[in-house]
Amino acid sequence: MSAAGYIARMPSRTRIAASSRLLAVILLAVLALTTARTSKAQSMLLPMDDSQRNHLKAYGVTYLALKNGQKAEWMLNYRGGSFLLPDAPELRRRAALDGVSIELLTDAAVASMRAEVAGGNMDAVVLERAPKIAIYRPVDQPPWDDAVTLALTYAGIEFTSVWDDAVMQGELSKYDWVHLHHEDFTGQFNKLYLAYRDAPWFVAQRERDMAMAKRFGKSDVPGLKKGVADNIRGFVDRGGFLFAMCGATESLDLAIAAFAVDIAGPFSDGSPPASDADARMDWTRALAFSGAHVEPSPYINALSDIDGHQVNVPARRQPLGTFTLFDFSAKLDPVATMLVQNHRSVVPDYYGVTTSFNRAVIKPGVTMLASEDGAPWSKYLHGDYGKGSWTFLGGHDPEDPQHAIGSAPTDLSLHPNSPGYRLILNNVLFPAAKKKPRKT
Amino acid sequence: MPCALVARCAVAIAMVVAGTGVHAQSVVRFPSARADSADALGMALDAEDKGNMKAAALAYREVLQRALIPGNADGDKVALSLLGLERVWAELGMRDSIVPVVQRVVQLRPTDPVARSMQLRALVGIGRDDEARLAFTAWRRAAGSDGAPFREYARLLLQQGRAQAADSVLAEAGRLLGAGGALSGEVAQLHVALGRWQAAAVAFRDALRDEPYLETAALFALTRAPAATRDSIRTVLLADPVQLAPRRLLSTLELAWGEPRRAWVALSTVKADDSTTAAWRAFGERAELAQSWLVARDAWSALFAQRRDLESQQRAAQAALNAGDAVGALQLVARAGPGSETVRARALLPIELSALGELGRAAEAQKRLDASGALLDETARTAMARPLVSAYLRAGDVPRAKAAVRGTDLEDDDETIGWLALYEGDLATARKRLVRAATQRGELVDALGILARARVDQSPGLGAAFLALARRDSAGAAARFIALADSVGPAAPALLSLAARLSSGTGAMVLWDRIVATWPKSPEAPEALLASARALLKSGDLAGATTRFETLLLDYPTSALTPQARRELERMKGRVPPGPLGAVAP
Repeated sequence: MSAAGYIARMPSRTRIAASSRLLAVILLAVLALTTARTSKAQSMLLPMDDSQRNHLKAYGVTYLALKNGQKAEWMLNYRGGSFLLPDAPELRRRAALDGVSIELLTDAAVASMRAEVAGGNMDAVVLERAPKIAIYRPVDQPPWDDAVTLALTYAGIEFTSVWDDAVMQGELSKYDWVHLHHEDFTGQFNKLYLAYRDAPWFVAQRERDMAMAKRFGKSDVPGLKKGVADNIRGFVDRGGFLFAMCGATESLDLAIAAFAVDIAGPFSDGSPPASDADARMDWTRALAFSGAHVEPSPYINALSDIDGHQVNVPARRQPLGTFTLFDFSAKLDPVATMLVQNHRSVVPDYYGVTTSFNRAVIKPGVTMLASEDGAPWSKYLHGDYGKGSWTFLGGHDPEDPQHAIGSAPTDLSLHPNSPGYRLILNNVLFPAAKKKPRKT
Repeated sequence: MPCALVARCAVAIAMVVAGTGVHAQSVVRFPSARADSADALGMALDAEDKGNMKAAALAYREVLQRALIPGNADGDKVALSLLGLERVWAELGMRDSIVPVVQRVVQLRPTDPVARSMQLRALVGIGRDDEARLAFTAWRRAAGSDGAPFREYARLLLQQGRAQAADSVLAEAGRLLGAGGALSGEVAQLHVALGRWQAAAVAFRDALRDEPYLETAALFALTRAPAATRDSIRTVLLADPVQLAPRRLLSTLELAWGEPRRAWVALSTVKADDSTTAAWRAFGERAELAQSWLVARDAWSALFAQRRDLESQQRAAQAALNAGDAVGALQLVARAGPGSETVRARALLPIELSALGELGRAAEAQKRLDASGALLDETARTAMARPLVSAYLRAGDVPRAKAAVRGTDLEDDDETIGWLALYEGDLATARKRLVRAATQRGELVDALGILARARVDQSPGLGAAFLALARRDSAGAAARFIALADSVGPAAPALLSLAARLSSGTGAMVLWDRIVATWPKSPEAPEALLASARALLKSGDLAGATTRFETLLLDYPTSALTPQARRELERMKGRVPPGPLGAVAP
């Protein structure tokens, strides 16, 4: 749903909210009467506004609660998207160790909070179980060059690394949530061939991918990666959650749409891209984009015109600005609301292989979660595909806006309140939410 | 970027102006072409400056075309337009477009170094390796005995990380042009790229003979040599005949590798002349900055032996004193040197007094001061009071230290008077005076913390403990602090914390545990937990360290030390990247 579509539905939403509020007030009055005598703490609130000392680790404490089989609630739009957990000793301990601010609430205080939630653009979403998380990355790679791996490692959220062999063998079905980072699913190594073709890391990566392609009967790396991309598409189609960042967003859709056409440069598969590649792309298969122009030149370090910033093409590069997170109705659009929970609504932008998404090539029906005011691109997208859903976030590292190959890794203990990293962690917990019938 | 463009415009205009003079005859023959060409160059630079790369490319093409007119060729403009085209096409993502253009220029001007190197650069840059090799071969044939084609091609290959290919090129150069010579710098860099450290050292040693400016490049390259390979570099740079440049290079390398003694050995055996003594002086200053006092002493002593100047003597003696070599400092001070008795006394007597004090020879220090009294004015005599007081305190003689203060400016110095009072057990005076001290030294902060919490005004035992510390008797001081812990009330954990810092491993751990168990609400308790966790981490006891870090975080959540503890715990668990010094793996 687009932002414009959301605004058009305001009146009906207001009516529903009003009746919900009345019902909640009555329930709260009853609750308050029955619990008035017990004043000891029953619940623990992890506030996510500016009073929180470590926003990122708060997600880890919530994940621990879910992993322990305890129930958690995500109080959408309440104090920056706070978490309500049971007051359990192991959670208190973990919060203290991690420096996470907590507030202990009596049942009466919880009831009062619920009344406030019922009366505004807020909602409580029950988180039921810890999602099984897979990150698509080479298993032996250190965790410091991928923002999601960094965030999960720092927050103490468990994940499994999966690579091409696991994806090709259908192992994604074991997981609820799959994350992709700056992988180039078109098999062109992010067009780094010219600059890095003799760098040891590049040679090793190329040899590794060639060996993997051979193992799965593919003649070249583009063939292998297209197969991987199609398996990921299938994972989403069958009900999985996909979160992609940086170059994986653009290249995944390109690889899916180019299933039957050669778009790879000669340095990766020995043949030039098809001259009529644009016309032969099958965008109906793609998740987010449609009608993009594929960049055929091996000397232009861009895969297509999907990216608005084109950081690696000097003459096309656009400067960084800030992006604004959109507001959604917590009660009517809980999914979009979950994905934008934050203590900041304006976030400094950051470059990546793909930094942003040109609106002109975004499919109708895709929800834009964040955009830069006045710019022709969006930063953060979400949509449904088959039985599953996907989220794309542009850029590489929210706390290293100019990240380059060889840059020092980001130390998240220096950025415990990073609003950009919160967007990543919102995606981690979103698959834990109890399914509600969609209202829109 | 604007500065670069302005500079480019200036260079271009200068070249155009210069070109007008050099090719005056051409101007007469082709006046309109010359003027148009200058206009086109200006337009190209202007368009490039404004980011209009397509227009800039067109204008540069025009300039190039005119600059190549037979009989009217203009090498400067050919170079300017080619470089301009290379820049703007790179910006447009059309790096391969330069190839046919530069090929045509090479056909017309086969020895033009700008065109030849650009051709190579373009072909290597866009991955047309076979054509690059052919272009190199053609340039080599055209250039005769010039080493430029080899140097340029090898440099490009090295930049691409293709060290083996660069090796072949330089080997070919060695065969055709002779070893070393104009390519020795490139050869050395090649060896570095291939990790052949000994060969790199040999090549740099050869290169430094004719190209001394390569010393910085050699230093940068060889500093990265792994520890296991450094002996081979040492052998090469120390080999006979002894020459200053390779020895100076090795000396700087040794300092960078954390080997100051070896650094001085490398330099000290070079035959002394003006260049060598200049190198010794530079070394002495670097050693002082690095607080490598022993080698600083040796460097300044060697310089003093050559120059016999007072500055070298004074700096050598001071370095000896700072290094803890009081006997050496006295010997250096005693050597004959230039300058009047008065000048020498002012420069050297404070060092001599301090050295005597360090050796516990306070009476001798007093005698030396008395003997030199006539040489010193009032200001100089007052300046000598401080080392004399220190000498008496080092000897544990507080009454004489107090006597030395009398009649000098030190009587008004809060810190001196405060410490003397503390050593005598007069805590009330010490409390009053030390709090007004001008410095913030660590021992002063410790003393103030203890004084603030000791509820008594007199404590000779505490004075004796601090005096033991002043005498550098750390074991004795620690024992006294521990013995006093039960009698000073709230100051007990502070005394034990200080004792723990003066104690070794196990002894310190016992004291930290006692602080946490007995005074859990004291500010020293989280300090003790952090210190003990760090000690356990250092000894490899990760479980013990984890327990103590976690106890600090859980039991003292508001302590100022929790951020440090949390960060170190996260590093230990691998949740944040390893720091610059590395982290212990989980």
